[in-house]
Amino acid sequence: MTDEMASSESMGLGKSRIFTPEVINDIHVKADLGRYRMRGGGIFKKIPHWDELVFLPGTLTRFVIEGYREKCTTKTVLGSRFAKNPLVLDIPIYITGMSFGALSLEAKMALAKGASMAGTATCSGEGGMIPPERDFSTKWYYQVIQSRYGFNPHHLMLADAVEFFIGQGCKVGMGGHLMGQKVTEQVAEMRSLPAGIDQRSPARHPDWLGPDDLSLKIQEVREATDYQVPIQLKLGASRVYDDVRMAAKCGPDVIFLDGAEGGTGAGPHIATEETGIPLLAAIPEARRALEDVGLADEIDLVVAGGIRNGGDVAKCIALGADAIAIGSAALMALGSNKEVEGADYQGTFGVSAAEFYHWHTGKDPAGITTQDPELRKRLDVDEGATRVYNFLHTLTLEVQMLARACGKTDVHSLEPEDLAALTTEASAMARVPLAGTSYIPGVTESQTLEEIKTLLAKHVANDGGGSDV
Amino acid sequence: MVAMNPPTDQETRGRNDIRGLAEPDAEAPKVARVEGGTATFDAADLSPRLVNLELRRLIYAEGIREVRIENPGAKHSIAVGLLARCRITINGSLGYFGATLGDGPEIHITGRVGWSVAENMMSGVVVIDKNAGSLTGAAMRGGDLVVRGHVGARTGIDQKGGTIVVGGNAGSMTGFMMQRGRQIICGDVGPGMGDSMYDGEIYVGGTVAALGVDCIEAEMTPEDEELLDRKLGIYRIDRPDTFRKFVCGKQLYNYDNLEPSERKLVL
Ligand SMILES: Cc1cc2nc3c(=O)[nH]c(=O)nc-3n(C[C@H](O)[C@H](O)[C@H](O)COP(=O)(O)O)c2cc1C
Repeated sequence: MTDEMASSESMGLGKSRIFTPEVINDIHVKADLGRYRMRGGGIFKKIPHWDELVFLPGTLTRFVIEGYREKCTTKTVLGSRFAKNPLVLDIPIYITGMSFGALSLEAKMALAKGASMAGTATCSGEGGMIPPERDFSTKWYYQVIQSRYGFNPHHLMLADAVEFFIGQGCKVGMGGHLMGQKVTEQVAEMRSLPAGIDQRSPARHPDWLGPDDLSLKIQEVREATDYQVPIQLKLGASRVYDDVRMAAKCGPDVIFLDGAEGGTGAGPHIATEETGIPLLAAIPEARRALEDVGLADEIDLVVAGGIRNGGDVAKCIALGADAIAIGSAALMALGSNKEVEGADYQGTFGVSAAEFYHWHTGKDPAGITTQDPELRKRLDVDEGATRVYNFLHTLTLEVQMLARACGKTDVHSLEPEDLAALTTEASAMARVPLAGTSYIPGVTESQTLEEIKTLLAKHVANDGGGSDV
Repeated sequence: MVAMNPPTDQETRGRNDIRGLAEPDAEAPKVARVEGGTATFDAADLSPRLVNLELRRLIYAEGIREVRIENPGAKHSIAVGLLARCRITINGSLGYFGATLGDGPEIHITGRVGWSVAENMMSGVVVIDKNAGSLTGAAMRGGDLVVRGHVGARTGIDQKGGTIVVGGNAGSMTGFMMQRGRQIICGDVGPGMGDSMYDGEIYVGGTVAALGVDCIEAEMTPEDEELLDRKLGIYRIDRPDTFRKFVCGKQLYNYDNLEPSERKLVL
């Protein structure tokens, strides 16, 4: 018998790691559909992430702060550069922009209420302002997004801060997506669109193209809002060093960086997987850029993308973020991806509740990423708000715990010094030493090279050009 | 020589951005002359910030309903975000983002304007006597925007309502991704007209170089003729004898269900 004809499993040659069952299935589906596949949620593939960093708390070399008894402040101020009224948050975490349309009215209200209970902010997202959300938010960002769906100068005047969407980490270089199922009469009317269309928002702004015009656009909105509120630019993490330098020169008060881990209500799977760089690589690049243009003390840095717990938040702060925004985790706190009475995740979507990524379908059994009146009834605004508040409060406690252990009386005093990396990749990207060593790939080598160059220069100088060439 | 004082915190940090556009600490210059309910001021020596502060002071604090600005000097972001009924005459030209984000004002600009004039206007009237740059009336939601001269590219991009009237020609990608509202172009229009529009009407008096994706010609109706007569009459613009009307072909509404033969449309 030849082995090509192997009949028993033990004689098989193995299986492809390139063409996995999932890949093959994907090809079959695309061959049927004739288009790219949409989904909600964040990146699936494995990338260097916060799990690969750890804290180095105080022992004898550092003095630790007493938990529960000694203060560790969490107050966070954003946008004091030019704004007459900077955004003052009680905690360094707020709820990122998620549109009404992607989310139900109840979800928007619960997030707003929960955030207000925690003393922090929410953001309108793409589809315009819904009055109940504004009413429940004590601090509220209004988005100036490419599509300008529902954009209204009267609402602009109600904002505590203005965010220019330039890109998002999940699908850098693209506009928003909202599938026809979710474009109800109400959603469509708010956006001045025909109901039921698959809405693909523009990727570029209608009224400016490059950084020179963006400076003027910022000036326009500052003039319109009389310099009362901060202007924040939201960028997807891509060529972070150059982008942040350019963004800083356009004159904002705050820069928001969204890492490749960031989630979306609906986006092409291929974009979610293949665009942007991880947040742990992006933050050090952004800090370096701000230092290099001399604006590190003036422009605040907000980051988002795949933040799950207080450890992730604390690591972002340690690398140089002033505040952290959460999206997916806030939805989960509300009850997304959770078994609910009457739901059949497996039967409807073919996956378990925990693996549910079908936010784009508008059929969310938890009533969060949907416009369906029946499903929406499953989300109780007050209960949801309490859960969101509890989660934000817990994140804050966790950040404080780590900060105190590292000897800080203010969470914002966390610094790269407080971190070590568990893998060489994370070490190289986050620029913190590999645990147990003082080695940072790339950084150590260039320092050594500099030393050699200096020594060589000295050597040549001492030689006094002695050679007679 | 006396030793120089060390720079103050203010000086080193600078309350200005790198391009010198931000002026957070300014106050209204109070330079306007008010005569018989009309205020007039000279903007020659004022920054955009000071012009806007003065405008806001006159309109909101003093309740003046007619303002005339001399020597606007093609400055950017002038007369933006005004949410009140008032009449403003700007005697000269404006730069980028002129007369934007307004709800109510009637603004007459006797010269030219740069990019993105009347961007996101909600209601009111903006009339420009000469030419306008690109992105004219971007994301506009209501009101009338009238350009007596020519306009650049992407006029009415993302337009959501209102009427844009152009006496002369329009550049490429006119009505790009337009959602609602109307455009009346008396002259010729460049290539890519109505590309990816969702809804709304574009009326053209001259020639169209080429239509964009999913833009089609539709039958003119008596209502259309009446609208053209009315709008062009109000603004006293010569009406070309015939107009053609263009609308959305509605083939791109749902990209999930495109037929194989239609798919190349979106490549
Ligand atoms: C349901 C949903 C809707 C979103 N809608 C918007 C939006 O309208 N505008 C926007 O800038 N970002 C939007 N985003 C992206 C978030 O603002 C943010 O960049 C991202 O969620 C951060 O990553 P995380 O979800 O892992 O926390 C949305 C995200 C989700 C999950």
